[in-house]
Amino acid sequence: MALLSRNADRLFWAARYLERAEDTARMVQEFGELFDDMPTDVDDSARRWAPLLAICGDRSMLDTDASEREVVNALVCDPDDVSSVAGSVAAARANLRTTREVLPREAWHTVNDLSLFVAAEAPRAENRRFRSHVLGRVANDSRRLDGILTSSMTRDAAWQMWRMGRYLERADMTTRVVGVRAALLMAEAQHADVSVRRYDEVHWMGVLKSLSALQMYQRATRGTIEASSVVRFLLFDSTFPRSVRFCLDEIDRSLDHLSRPESVREAVEVARTALTSTSTMATTTDGADLDQAMDWVQSLIGKVNEAVTDRYLNIDGG
Amino acid sequence: MRAVDELLNPDRSPRPAAAALWALLDELGPEEIGVRQQATELDILTMGITFTVYSDGENIDRAWPFDVVPRIIPGDEWDEVQAGLSQRLRAVNMFIDDLYNDQRIIEAGIFPADLLEDSVNFRPECVGASPKFGVWAHISGSDLVRDDDGTFYVLEDNLRVPSGVSYVIENRAVTKKAFPELFGKNRIRPVDSYTDELNKLLMSLAPEGVTEPQIAVLTPGIFNSAYFEHSFLAERMGADLVEGGDLVVGDDDCVYMHTVEGRERVHVIYRRIDDLFLDPEAFRPDSLLGVAGLMRAWKAGNVGIANAPGAGVADDKCVYAWMPDIIRFYLDEEPLIANVPTYRCMYDDEREYVLEHLDELVMKPANESGGYGITIGSRATEAELSDCAAAILEDPRNWVAQPIIQLSTVPTLIDGELQSRHVDLRPFILTGAGSYVTAGGLTRVALKEGSLIVNSSQGGGSKDTWIVDHHNGQSQSQSQSSQSQSQSQSQSQNGGGS
Repeated sequence: MALLSRNADRLFWAARYLERAEDTARMVQEFGELFDDMPTDVDDSARRWAPLLAICGDRSMLDTDASEREVVNALVCDPDDVSSVAGSVAAARANLRTTREVLPREAWHTVNDLSLFVAAEAPRAENRRFRSHVLGRVANDSRRLDGILTSSMTRDAAWQMWRMGRYLERADMTTRVVGVRAALLMAEAQHADVSVRRYDEVHWMGVLKSLSALQMYQRATRGTIEASSVVRFLLFDSTFPRSVRFCLDEIDRSLDHLSRPESVREAVEVARTALTSTSTMATTTDGADLDQAMDWVQSLIGKVNEAVTDRYLNIDGG
Repeated sequence: MRAVDELLNPDRSPRPAAAALWALLDELGPEEIGVRQQATELDILTMGITFTVYSDGENIDRAWPFDVVPRIIPGDEWDEVQAGLSQRLRAVNMFIDDLYNDQRIIEAGIFPADLLEDSVNFRPECVGASPKFGVWAHISGSDLVRDDDGTFYVLEDNLRVPSGVSYVIENRAVTKKAFPELFGKNRIRPVDSYTDELNKLLMSLAPEGVTEPQIAVLTPGIFNSAYFEHSFLAERMGADLVEGGDLVVGDDDCVYMHTVEGRERVHVIYRRIDDLFLDPEAFRPDSLLGVAGLMRAWKAGNVGIANAPGAGVADDKCVYAWMPDIIRFYLDEEPLIANVPTYRCMYDDEREYVLEHLDELVMKPANESGGYGITIGSRATEAELSDCAAAILEDPRNWVAQPIIQLSTVPTLIDGELQSRHVDLRPFILTGAGSYVTAGGLTRVALKEGSLIVNSSQGGGSKDTWIVDHHNGQSQSQSQSSQSQSQSQSQSQNGGGS
């Protein structure tokens, strides 16, 4: 049965929002734990949280003294912002509420239940003691939903839309996390004080953890945690499911099952080729280069999004 | 005279069909019943069973109000009601078909012509149309009440876009979890075959020659009070839930929907939009909910629409008054289910009677639904009664009046104890080549003490409805499946873990 264009749009976005909620939840959780671990000579705790805001698009916040409370509130609790965990979950639910007939029933129940939980509990995430209770549930339910769909959903166009939304958002989030790490490197480079750079390894470990990638990275590389190797893994590894390369490959695989995919496939191909060609730039430990490279990849992911929208989500599309 | 209770005899002993339930409730006690009530409320929230109310300029999605104590009707009694409803809907459909075609009933002097001329629900655009099987009102929901003499009366027929059937099915789903002790032991008729029957009915409305029809449920959108149900029905039938913007009528007068594959033909539409919003070309030009050209496509026989446009002509509190005559005229049978005696204010003598007995009657505007505009004489103030009289005199055609029916009650959990509350019942009737009546229906309960207003939009709740058949002897024992074949495979002992 053919998928309504309107349903395609809502499924694609529901998947993006849910992936965003999951990734943001993990990021906030992991960064918090990372900073807790880090000894400092100077008390720079006020400056530690701002980079998280930058990941979600607001680079202007990077140099501010946004407090932990403000940052967590913006990234987790604010229900009106679709970049926050609460906002993303609510947006995912709103989209799925109108597409219930194309998804397994348990999928809707999971998201509905999660959204009730988040609406009631998200404000408690401001308090560190309750943070993992809220954020852990978001990440777990998001993965539970993947499990439900994987084991009980027909591989039809609706399924492909869901997958494409998931992988597109995931690729985007991975570049953001790497990009912000790059921006931080730039900020640190300005410090004459070497002690700030002493924990470089711990920082990169935090990046890997916030993408659920630490263990797989260690198994894949069998090496130490080192900047260029981490970046390579997160961008180019063709077997790790959060690398940008893997996400683009998965989108390509979905296109095999959809009609008239040429325009989207072209955009995916451009992004993949560009990814390879940025390899020298991206593997540098120079913050400015890395940051620029991530911006470039993000804009190409944006182009894939546009191509999907034009072809599948709009009425009478390509 | 006190109201009849559906579960209990006047001496508070349980009726036979309710004996098992009552024994369990007694054993559990109010506190445990309360715990189970809370568990079902949580289920309802998690499952997203909602209805939307319009309040303070906003549409709010609310959890469906539900009381855990079911209402029980003995099977043999229900069989009679079922037969009465099938008969009634057969006659109603013949009546609608007649009004849009030969008008024999008017010619025979049984139904007054001027009533039809005044009707706000008669659609001249439908004159001459002949939908399949001569059926216009495929899906209907009749509101039944049981009076203090124990008789079921039809209070009104909802033939346009009746809602509530999704809650019949979901109420059962949560009740099974609340009282697992009772299901299986008692013969409670299942309710979930409704969506399958509806699906078959809709498929039968496909244009000639279409063997695998594409079915769509047309909704006004998420702000509609019954959006949950629209989505539920589409899901259960494997149909698409569409909004006006998803559909287009082509130059070939066929209906298409916009999909990722391009335009796909739609063969049958279960529309949950009122007639006047269905097609801006034929009806209200400002409607954004419908599909331009839908009436063209329907009249050309390229799409089946349920309920057919114009079916609402018989969903009218005035037409209701003629229902016994309508059944006799078309079927030559006596009505099997009772109609409440109804005074028609358009007739001088009946109007005079009504105006003289306002305090004993219920006055209803003919074309309102959801319990709006109703005046219950015995509870109204002097001022309300004189306002009502003025409204009747201004537009007598729009008013009917009926004696006050003492609704039956069912014990309901209120403030931690079981108290009697009034209920009605809305069964759903499917009419096509054959007919189907739900096993029971939606029991709505007025949660305020003494109140007769059961509408969920006005603070009413709902209950699961059990049609219970008598046990006659032991049920047959089921054959046991062979043990050896049913063993599942497991990892061999020498593998893994060591």
